[in-house]
Amino acid sequence: MDKVIFHIDVNSAFLSWEAVYRLHIRGEKRDLREIPSAVAGDVKKRHGIILAKSIPAKKYGVRTGDTISDALKLCPNLIMVPPHYDLYEECSKALIEILKEFSPCVEQYSVDEAFCDMTGTVGLYGSALVAANLMKDRIYNELGFTVNIGISSNKILAKMASDFKKPNLVHTLFPEEIEKKMWKLPVEELFFVGSATKRKLHSLGIHTIGQLAKTDLDILRAHFKKHGEVIYSFANGIDSSIVQDQAPPNKGYGNSTTIAFDVDDGSTAKMVLLSLAEKVCSRLRGDSVMASVVAVSIVDIYFRRSSHQMLLISPTNITNEIHKAACQLFDELWDQTPIRQLGIHTSKIVEEDSEKQINLFDMNRYEKLSKLDAAVDRIRERYGEDSIIRAIFLNGPIYHMSGGISPEKRKPKYKEGIM
Amino acid sequence: MLHMPVDVIATFNVQGKIKPNYIRLEDENHLLHTYKIENIIFSKEEKYGGIPVILFCCNIVREDCAQLIHIKYYVKSHQWVLVKERF
Repeated sequence: MDKVIFHIDVNSAFLSWEAVYRLHIRGEKRDLREIPSAVAGDVKKRHGIILAKSIPAKKYGVRTGDTISDALKLCPNLIMVPPHYDLYEECSKALIEILKEFSPCVEQYSVDEAFCDMTGTVGLYGSALVAANLMKDRIYNELGFTVNIGISSNKILAKMASDFKKPNLVHTLFPEEIEKKMWKLPVEELFFVGSATKRKLHSLGIHTIGQLAKTDLDILRAHFKKHGEVIYSFANGIDSSIVQDQAPPNKGYGNSTTIAFDVDDGSTAKMVLLSLAEKVCSRLRGDSVMASVVAVSIVDIYFRRSSHQMLLISPTNITNEIHKAACQLFDELWDQTPIRQLGIHTSKIVEEDSEKQINLFDMNRYEKLSKLDAAVDRIRERYGEDSIIRAIFLNGPIYHMSGGISPEKRKPKYKEGIM
Repeated sequence: MLHMPVDVIATFNVQGKIKPNYIRLEDENHLLHTYKIENIIFSKEEKYGGIPVILFCCNIVREDCAQLIHIKYYVKSHQWVLVKERF
């Protein structure tokens, strides 16, 4: 049977979702999608970049990732709204729920993208185009936002297809169509071709996907090694990966944070490391796993990155142990230049019930700390993350569990009205 | 023009169907009045932005006139709001 794969991509996700919320839940009059608008972070917290833009804003040249000041130079009357991650989670969940009604195999690719394996569903909803239009319209009528759907016989082509003209459209890109629809596109539009690859390809005289597809594979292998094989396959529409509805287990758990001010003393940095350790370890314990490798990364005020890692004697998910390792790594790594961003990343993940080699002297401390962490987790689960915090963070400038989505980004402070 | 949270008295039947019975609204002089919901013209389930809502279109009697109002019940937060008419 020929495979039929859909790729669903929400148009201007964060912006569209906020537009729907304001229109239908808050009862505001204007639709953000119809005016130049964007979702942007907080400049004062040094998160001031554009996260999503409306189609009118795109016409002014505003791009995702631009700083707010750059965006305002291009579009002075740009309306900006703060991020609303709790809403995005709900919208994403609702989207996946609808997709699961259409397909037995749905892979959530990101918060606003998913793949559906629609092979063999002709009897349920009709042919691919009919089903995709039904899906797209159902999503719009029920949830209020538009999506693009790409249809093909494999994931890479379906993903490229959904990126054609937007919004609210269904596109096909089957193998017989790639010459007509895909090969004329510039090479950087191909999935897995980033700015570095693009430059190298340009220097080889390869400017379109079609040229890449016809290039000798040996030449590509020589310049890009394995990556060359990958982009060659994709340019020719070859992709054998399957739609996986179960996410594979995580190979690493890490969190990092850009601090709102420059950190120039070790004790403040170690406080940030503690809050990162709290976050990372609660995630490790939440998934019942432990880590053996700990790495610390620093980005200084000159945007220079550096990192340092170590292997622990035995795997752990105890906050104090990971923090101790992180502090040791930090002391060995830091050159006293003021810091902008800190991160802790753990890897070499094992299941929690694997054997732990307990150091003879630490035996009691390990049990005590382990029970403490478990009790704190239970309190936070029941009464909220902020119901119990380590005393060092009281009245301090640093949030007690840094990393991931900070509380202010979860829900904006609307000036009036409900919710 | 925003949705306004209101106090509502509602009944739930054995099948989980919700029916708003009374609504309390504030008038121009900032006094609260409780109105009986005379009848429900229709109800509709909505899920904009993934947020489940039940919309009710009903009649209340206000100053000897039957007035049509739209109220929404937000299922997850259990709040009722009055949808204000847009002029």
